[in-house]
Amino acid sequence: MSDTAPLVKIEGLHKSYGGVVKVLQGLDIEMKAGDRVVVIGPSGGGKSTLLRVLMGLEQIDGGSIVFGGKPYISANGNGKTAIDAKVRRSIGMVFQHYTLFPHLDVIGNLILAPMKVRGEKKAEAEARAMALLTRFGLAQKAKSYPAQLSGGQKQRVAIARALMLDPKLMLFDEVTSALDPELVAEVEQVILQLAKQQMPMVIVTHDMWFAKNIASRVIFCAGGVVVEDGPPEQVLGSPREERTREFIERVFHIKH
Amino acid sequence: MTFNFAVVLKFQEALFLGLWMTLKLTLICIVLGCALGFLVALARTSKNAILRAASSVYVEFFRGTPVLVQLFWIFFCLPLILGVELSNMTSGVIALTLYMGAISSETFRASLKSVGREQLDACVALGLSHWARTTNVVLPQAVLRAAPTLLSNCVSLFKESALVSAVGMADLMFVGQNISNNTARPIEVLTIVALIYFVIAFPLTRAVTVIERRILKRLAL
Repeated sequence: MSDTAPLVKIEGLHKSYGGVVKVLQGLDIEMKAGDRVVVIGPSGGGKSTLLRVLMGLEQIDGGSIVFGGKPYISANGNGKTAIDAKVRRSIGMVFQHYTLFPHLDVIGNLILAPMKVRGEKKAEAEARAMALLTRFGLAQKAKSYPAQLSGGQKQRVAIARALMLDPKLMLFDEVTSALDPELVAEVEQVILQLAKQQMPMVIVTHDMWFAKNIASRVIFCAGGVVVEDGPPEQVLGSPREERTREFIERVFHIKH
Repeated sequence: MTFNFAVVLKFQEALFLGLWMTLKLTLICIVLGCALGFLVALARTSKNAILRAASSVYVEFFRGTPVLVQLFWIFFCLPLILGVELSNMTSGVIALTLYMGAISSETFRASLKSVGREQLDACVALGLSHWARTTNVVLPQAVLRAAPTLLSNCVSLFKESALVSAVGMADLMFVGQNISNNTARPIEVLTIVALIYFVIAFPLTRAVTVIERRILKRLAL
């Protein structure tokens, strides 16, 4: 892959639920390897659906996604969606509601996929897991069960679990929305840490402070299409589109 | 009226053999019945309409008829239909396994359903195969959630197993009844028999509460 080739190329993405509720209506996004994209927009505008499609969790009605130069997802006409599971493995996702496995302790959550998907040895996976947990300040929680953790700790474990598979792209779907306000920072710190290490990511968030601090690029998504796309100072500070401006004013109005 | 519990002591060996038969039968039917129940639970949630229909008919029929009738039917009618001789152990095992399968399938079905959509999404996002997802995520959670109810099912089975005495299997109940008839001491003998059942069943019902409180709470399942 050359430096100029996009990491992700989304073309003409269409997605509806039951053919009635049209969520994505011809979405085009090109993302470079160095990009940290924050997607903002009104609820129902397709942000979370976009992430779920990118993760290969949803069927699509039309369009295609190319990842790292390889065909990843495409609608093949007869209502079926072709998803390349191998390509999917290079993408990691963190969800709003943690989705840790409640029957496994923290380290068990981290090593399951490396062992089952990559055939890694237990000792090896555990060593990597401990290193990650230490880095995230969670080493002493390795033997705890998810139910014994705070929301912020759970979400940091979820991030560590996704990182265990060395993803080339990370997706964060409203990862701080379910958290108590005082726990938001510890999760955002971890994501900022990843950003510093040049991890490509797509983030859906309602937290404009976080958006401004982490994004290299902000996309405003509404009505299932990209309305505005640019550097954070521009999209958040002086948006060109009327709909973006309205949204940003409303969000900041509520915030302050 | 005078009681003479010493009578029972004379027959303790027979009672032990009866109890051993009851435990053996119960354990065999727990293992077979749980395996059957799990498969039936999968069949009831399957995409195949025939599997779904057949498994539903089975479960509803066995839940909606008395175990004694099921037992008699398998003991007296099944050999006639199949044209083979069935020992009373075999028919006892068949009947109680089918009973256990029916009630535990409902338990498994509920617990499988309780493994949420989000857990499956997480599995896909981690690249887990369908097999790895089933064996490492869905199954352990379903079994843990099912554990208290399943243990209650086992206790029910243990108690219901006394019905096999009606088809002449020498279980604890059968032995007790015989001793009581021969000694004309029904109060002493049947009280002791009841106590033996209770001493085994009671700790198990307490264990159900412990599992619910300790394990499920720790895992927040």
